Amino acid sequence: MKILKLWRTLKEGFQNFVRNGWLSVATISILTISLYLISLTFMIGITTDLLLKNVQDKINISIYFNPAMEENDIVAIKNNLQSYKEVKSIEYVSKEKALEEFMQMGNNDPAIKQALDEIGENPLLASLVIKANQSDQYEIINKAIENSDFREDISRINYDKNKIIIERLNKIVAFSKEIGMILGSLFVLIAILITFNAIRITIYSHKQEFEIERLVGASNLYIRMPFIFEGIFYGFSASIVSAALLLVTAKLISSFVERTISQDNVMSLYLSNFWQIFGILFAIGILLGVISSFIAIRRYLKK
Amino acid sequence: MEQQEIIKLENATKMYPGDFVALDNVNLSIMKGEFVSIVGQTGAGKSTLLKLIYAEEDPTMGEIYFNGKSVREIRRKHLPYYRRNIGTVFQDFKLLPQKTIFENVAYALEVNGEPTDEINEKVPEILDVVGLGSKLEMYPRQLSGGEQQKVSLARALINCPQMIIADEPTGNLDPISTWEIIQLLLKINTLGTTILLATHNREIVDKINKRVLVMEKGKLISDIQKGKYNL
Repeated sequence: MKILKLWRTLKEGFQNFVRNGWLSVATISILTISLYLISLTFMIGITTDLLLKNVQDKINISIYFNPAMEENDIVAIKNNLQSYKEVKSIEYVSKEKALEEFMQMGNNDPAIKQALDEIGENPLLASLVIKANQSDQYEIINKAIENSDFREDISRINYDKNKIIIERLNKIVAFSKEIGMILGSLFVLIAILITFNAIRITIYSHKQEFEIERLVGASNLYIRMPFIFEGIFYGFSASIVSAALLLVTAKLISSFVERTISQDNVMSLYLSNFWQIFGILFAIGILLGVISSFIAIRRYLKK
Repeated sequence: MEQQEIIKLENATKMYPGDFVALDNVNLSIMKGEFVSIVGQTGAGKSTLLKLIYAEEDPTMGEIYFNGKSVREIRRKHLPYYRRNIGTVFQDFKLLPQKTIFENVAYALEVNGEPTDEINEKVPEILDVVGLGSKLEMYPRQLSGGEQQKVSLARALINCPQMIIADEPTGNLDPISTWEIIQLLLKINTLGTTILLATHNREIVDKINKRVLVMEKGKLISDIQKGKYNL
């Protein structure tokens, strides 16, 4: 009998959903906007993150060693530095490689080649190019190197030159995270409020029916269940629409940032995680729908 | 034949905030199978009396008994089961606007968990009885007032209740529809269902010629078997 009643309330919820017509369309639209706002906040967050990571990747500290240093010793230092948890990667650039890159940079200009020939030896220094996990960790790495026992073997560190850029980047990262958090939670709050209100209006329009249903002998649960199901239908429809909207947005954003971000494109990120994103939207949509219905109907079921 | 008491009111009193006394110390006993008309002017306490019986309101003082059991002691959880013993009909019909005639009547069975094939059998039958067998798929707004009240009556009857409470059921109806509804109520009564009818239609009360309760300012001022409308 319980399953029969559950089935009936499901049917009833679906009927309400269909027969409400424009009210359903309005509720779905509002729920869609809510879901879209929430996911857009995250999408912008992710894009900013990607953009910043991209810039971060271009930053590094290079340490140049005295010409007398043997390659073995430099590799030993490299291995030592690699054990730092702040260090993401270290690349060893030998004198020869540095020269090669230098030549390439100058388009193999014969004048440069001549100049080098006159010197008679490779004037460039071997170096280690260090990348940190986070841009605010360069300061720590720099300090560690300054205080290390191999400080004397180092000819120069280019940290100071990059310092300003790194600090500015750190500020941007911190700021965008803060703004993202504030805007994100604001949007989520607005989304919850408008959804709750929309569903409250839908339920208000059924106000008189609750009394009738009660008089006919329906239990509170029997009266409530169709609205819970209706909430599920709203959530389901809205999550489909907002997933589609999000697809269009991802396409727009990715064409916009394409020149800056080549790998990890927003679009491919969206597509590769589509089912996860859809699942989350679906869950949030249903949760919003069901909880709003549940709360909104409570005041009409006193007895 | 020994008569059984279906409704008993003991010193039933209902006060609303502001010390407004809607029902003042009413004692009353109604037997199974009786047809009782309750008359009185607007605000005399007729509707309040009925509300206490179908447990929409609790009495402020006193007790209401249904088949010897105190209504006050029915737990909230069990109220829906209690209400299925009492069919209600109102002046404003109280039909669900988004449901068809069939669905409106079927709803009263669905909430009981009745099997679907039984619903499909019983609902057209009862709608035939009230003369609406051909309008199953129509919506309430497509029917006249008299027809809507017949649907409401069919819904009240579908659970085979022990009692029908009708609060001004003909208040919105033309004379012909009014008489049709009253005749249906009389017919239902002859089949053994207790009827409680609140009205201020003098003509009907005189024609019915059964027990009449007169209420005034929340008090029961007269109770006459085979009464006429005297106010």
